[in-house]
Amino acid sequence: MLENEETTYNIIDLLHSSKMSYFYRGQLTQNITDGILALTETNLSKAQEPVKVKKRVYTILVEGLQNITRHQDLKNERKSFFGIEQSGDFYFITMANTIGNAKIDELSMQLDKINSLEKNELKEFYKRALMENELSEKGGAGLGLIEMARKSGNKLQYSFKQLNDKVSYFYLRTYIKHNLDDVSSETNHLEFDNIFRLHQQLDEENVLIVFNGIFNQESLINLLSIIESQMAGQPTLKKRVFNIMVELLQNIVKHGVTPFNDDGNPGIFYISDSPNGYKLCTGNYIANENIANLKEKIEDVNKLNKKELNDFYDKRLFNFQIDNSKESGLGLIELRLKSNSQLKHSFKGTSEKISFFTIEVTIQE
Amino acid sequence: MMPVLYIEATKDTPRILLNAEENQFEISEKSLPEDAIGFYQPVFDWLNQYIDNPKGANTFVFFLEYFSTSTAKQLTKILFLLEKLSEKVQVKIIWKYREADMDMHNAGMRYKKILKVNFELEAV
Repeated sequence: MLENEETTYNIIDLLHSSKMSYFYRGQLTQNITDGILALTETNLSKAQEPVKVKKRVYTILVEGLQNITRHQDLKNERKSFFGIEQSGDFYFITMANTIGNAKIDELSMQLDKINSLEKNELKEFYKRALMENELSEKGGAGLGLIEMARKSGNKLQYSFKQLNDKVSYFYLRTYIKHNLDDVSSETNHLEFDNIFRLHQQLDEENVLIVFNGIFNQESLINLLSIIESQMAGQPTLKKRVFNIMVELLQNIVKHGVTPFNDDGNPGIFYISDSPNGYKLCTGNYIANENIANLKEKIEDVNKLNKKELNDFYDKRLFNFQIDNSKESGLGLIELRLKSNSQLKHSFKGTSEKISFFTIEVTIQE
Repeated sequence: MMPVLYIEATKDTPRILLNAEENQFEISEKSLPEDAIGFYQPVFDWLNQYIDNPKGANTFVFFLEYFSTSTAKQLTKILFLLEKLSEKVQVKIIWKYREADMDMHNAGMRYKKILKVNFELEAV
């Protein structure tokens, strides 16, 4: 059983409708922004997209991230929220940050104005805003928003969710179609409901980052660099998170299976700052015939105390009968040793041949 | 004369320097390659060849910031090769770790316990 099985599965279900997605919750710094951009680049270069589409997605991301960085309220406890999804024919980019209720009207007017303009008008509007911007300091003319609208070629969808009488969440969502076709603004594929629900679940679990997609060594490295920046100033703990993350994610790369025709193993990873410590959770598909064996291994390793775990690790470290590119026989022992906690797991059948395997590790001091 | 083996560090693989002429042997930084066996193959090959005709004194420095479990297994193999080398010539292993990094200290202790070779831990 997982600690919060319902929430975990809610998050997984909400993300799984898209082919690839990740959401980041927290303060955005330059390093984290760079990490998110690198992660996107990796995923876009894997996808068979025209260079033009990749460039546009990238530009929108840069503008969106800068927009949050510029406006995020560092004193506020509520975290900014940023995500990208690839689903069907679309890329969706979503961002949310808190905004003072007093500013809502002005921002809405600005967005409505941008949305009312045709392509050529938008260009003119941009030029004018650029000139005015030189006179003002904080980019108040909404240059970033105009640029996002221009690059996506589509309307900017937005929504506000009031948190109290002072502040609201401001949600902004835009999208690009794979073939860069214009999309009629009536098309109702930009429902905010799912985003609200996801954001709420991530808030409840205090998730820092969640990634859903194909796992490979590159995405692993990019995720590590984001976490590294996010946890600056906690060297010992950060290293444990690192250790556990590498073992969990490489497990997906090496042992996962794919129910689709992907050139890698799909899975999900998230890390949350739970009351008991940092919690790392991964989910991936495995063949049903391997369930019994995996379950037994986890349960065996869960029974051992610290001394027994260390002895078992030594025994395995010097045993070369288990030594191939897939397995060292050390991964699960390492998870227990470095986390100081029990491994929680769950299997959920998805077909006759395949199940979804979730494992959760909480790092306890 | 053994050629120098030098591998530049990347985000997921360590810096490796094996230079017999200068008595410089070092593995440092991070190691979490997807295929650890494949990555360390050139090191095994180099050491296996070196064992046939080694120099008199050899100091091997391990200064890893982080390594994955699949790397741990390959380090064992390298260390066993060094143990074998020590049957012929003088070998000293220095396992460096950052002072506060008890995990890396403990990892060194594991190897020290098992190996019959001059093995020092050094806090940096």
